Amino acid sequence: MKSNRIAWGLLAPTLLVLGFAGLLPFFYVVYVGFFNWNVFSRVAGLVYTGADNYRRLVFDADFLASIGRSVRFTFWAVSIEMILGMGLAQSLMRDFKGKGFFRAVYALPLTVAPIAVGATWRLLTMPGMGPLPYYLKQIGFDYNLGRYPAHAFATTVLMDVWHWTPFVTLTFLAGLTALPKEPFEQAMVDGANRWQILRHLTLPMLRPVILTALFLRIMDALRIVDEVFMLTGGGPGMHTHYVGIFVWRVVFPKTDYGYGSAMSVLLLYFTIVLCWLLLTSITQARREAGT
Amino acid sequence: MSLRHIHWLLSALVVASMVLISCAPPAAPAAPAAPAAPAAGEEAAPAKEVSWWTKAAEPYKGVTIRGISESTPPSKYMQQVLAPAFEKETGIKVEFEVTSWDQMYDKEIKDMEAGTGIYDFVYVEQDIIYAYLQRKFLTDLTTFMEQNPQLVYADLDMNDFTSFIDYFKDDQGHAYGIPFEAFLKVYLYRKDLFNDPEVQAAFKEKYGWDLRPATTWEEYGQIAEFFTEWGKDKELYGTTVTAGTHPAATYEMIESVFPAWGIYRWGINMENWKATSANGGSLDSEQAKKALRFWDVDMLKFAPPEATSSTWDEVAASFAAGRAAQGLIYGENAAWIATDSTRSKVVGNVGVALPPTAPGVMDEAKAAKGYIGYYDGGALGIPVSSKNKEAAFLWLQWMARKDFQGDFAAAASRIVRKSTFEDPKVLELDPKVDGYFSLMKEQGPLFAGAPPFPFHNTIRPVLDPFIWKTISGEVTPEDALDQAAQAIDAELAKLGYGQ
Repeated sequence: MKSNRIAWGLLAPTLLVLGFAGLLPFFYVVYVGFFNWNVFSRVAGLVYTGADNYRRLVFDADFLASIGRSVRFTFWAVSIEMILGMGLAQSLMRDFKGKGFFRAVYALPLTVAPIAVGATWRLLTMPGMGPLPYYLKQIGFDYNLGRYPAHAFATTVLMDVWHWTPFVTLTFLAGLTALPKEPFEQAMVDGANRWQILRHLTLPMLRPVILTALFLRIMDALRIVDEVFMLTGGGPGMHTHYVGIFVWRVVFPKTDYGYGSAMSVLLLYFTIVLCWLLLTSITQARREAGT
Repeated sequence: MSLRHIHWLLSALVVASMVLISCAPPAAPAAPAAPAAPAAGEEAAPAKEVSWWTKAAEPYKGVTIRGISESTPPSKYMQQVLAPAFEKETGIKVEFEVTSWDQMYDKEIKDMEAGTGIYDFVYVEQDIIYAYLQRKFLTDLTTFMEQNPQLVYADLDMNDFTSFIDYFKDDQGHAYGIPFEAFLKVYLYRKDLFNDPEVQAAFKEKYGWDLRPATTWEEYGQIAEFFTEWGKDKELYGTTVTAGTHPAATYEMIESVFPAWGIYRWGINMENWKATSANGGSLDSEQAKKALRFWDVDMLKFAPPEATSSTWDEVAASFAAGRAAQGLIYGENAAWIATDSTRSKVVGNVGVALPPTAPGVMDEAKAAKGYIGYYDGGALGIPVSSKNKEAAFLWLQWMARKDFQGDFAAAASRIVRKSTFEDPKVLELDPKVDGYFSLMKEQGPLFAGAPPFPFHNTIRPVLDPFIWKTISGEVTPEDALDQAAQAIDAELAKLGYGQ
């Protein structure tokens, strides 16, 4: 009992800060979602409209399209990161020339702030001015992410892969390092090849780690704003207007706080559902792995 | 002591030193040097006359005022030149934040909406003033001056401001901002190319008229087409177009292109607040659709590849890099493009002209029934929530001083006072910018600022996606404007306009 009280007492400051900085704003956003509040409306301030904002959302084709774009982006970016990350982690388990240097350098993108990543890639890919379009033009490829939606989409995926694959690699590397050696030695003695070892041993044993990395990357990728905003502004047209940018434009330039709040709450709901599904899978995987 | 202990001790020392450094108070400013005592037998030198500014600022010495503006040449000049001089003269510290256009608006609007009093002076662009007036965000400077005559500089001379100041006044003629920048969005062209005999001959052969700055949109299109073909291997294109996924693309249409095609005030009927032509608006009219197709579809073919990633800054940079033969460029960039060889490759080759217009538009502008383009600019205003209005007002007057305007105009190609047109520095610079200042003085009345919309910042984002989709080819210009006009009507109704 006494130790419970001490534990709660020690946790109290953190909980207070979390409550003030996390829960309070959240409840305020939920509250504002039931109002029409635009800074430049004829009637200033909050005007109660009930569930009107949520009703509008369901039929907002642009908003729904932005969710679809975000899902597509997340699928491609995260899939490539997982595959590349696994490959790199496997490579780093072996010795090769320059391994030390590679280990020092490959994680550097993680240290760069997202807005700086976006700005750097913008300079790299600026049509008519950046080195990437210039050198691609030399080999006959007209690369222009301001004009061709496919180029813009691919570049946003590539930028995200560049930024976050090191995180996935590090996560897998930690998992691989913690795996017991005996099953692998036995498999090799039994004559299993590398592909069979990967498929029947490594991946199943690594399942909790894979799901954890997947969970974290999906959450992040769905929320992406800064890098893509800097790189493409959401263009060309609306082709890279992912849901984060869409909400940003409603809340900040348009100052439609009521509608933007409703959007944020709805997105939070989707995220919670997705989290729950993934967490259930992780818990089940852990149970099966006996941890 | 074991290695582990040493490790923990060193870590603790590092953390402690970081905590101490972060808690250290800021270094006290150096005390001003005391005047030297006169040597024995010498008379003390006469005391330096204290300026009006020093006297007026005496009660506010040591106060820090904070302000925000867009990162443009005029604002940077204020931040880097005028603010330090003001601080030295008055002892009032100026923390002047210059940032991106959208961040500037986001921060100042939030501050004024919440009444937090973070900023003591804010950038009031000509187009946002109506919204700010409706929300009563800004201090009535006219009343403030009446109540605080001791803070009014004798040579402020409000009558010396150009008519641009009228944009910052309410119905009673009370001023809510002191202008610091005003410029026209003009038609810039490459004089060296237009005057090249070979180019002239080739152009005349193809199109049958003598090459000169376009006065109609048909001519503009032919010039753009010609130079794109002619400049194929020279990285030269026929025109700039602001076509990035950014509000700049929308502004180019509503501020410059639509008016020059006879579509005024964004195509919104200000009597019933409707944009659809069925309800008296003109945003979805045939003329508007022609204008949008011409600029964001046809001219885009003759623009540099970076056009679709360009905002107003990149467009100016493209022209300065010699990549376009002509373009519509904000006047704040005209001076450095024409004269600064460290940033521009076309120094000495920049021509300035009135933008081309559709038939009848110039006559309407001359009769004050329309306008041919955008008279852009901004002022500094004092939020009602400011806690240092007196100190801020002294700063506003400082940056508007008549004796500063010549250098200010030379540095940032803006003029807000009538007297500045006769300043020797401006007269000297004018020929170097191909008469831009003369054009501004004489033809300025043909241009106009943004319409008096209290909902500017809310409606423009409604129009943005339709312009962007037109540029990317997702929709035709015709469908874009049909949908845009309906969307604007719906949004205006939601805001309480045009029920």
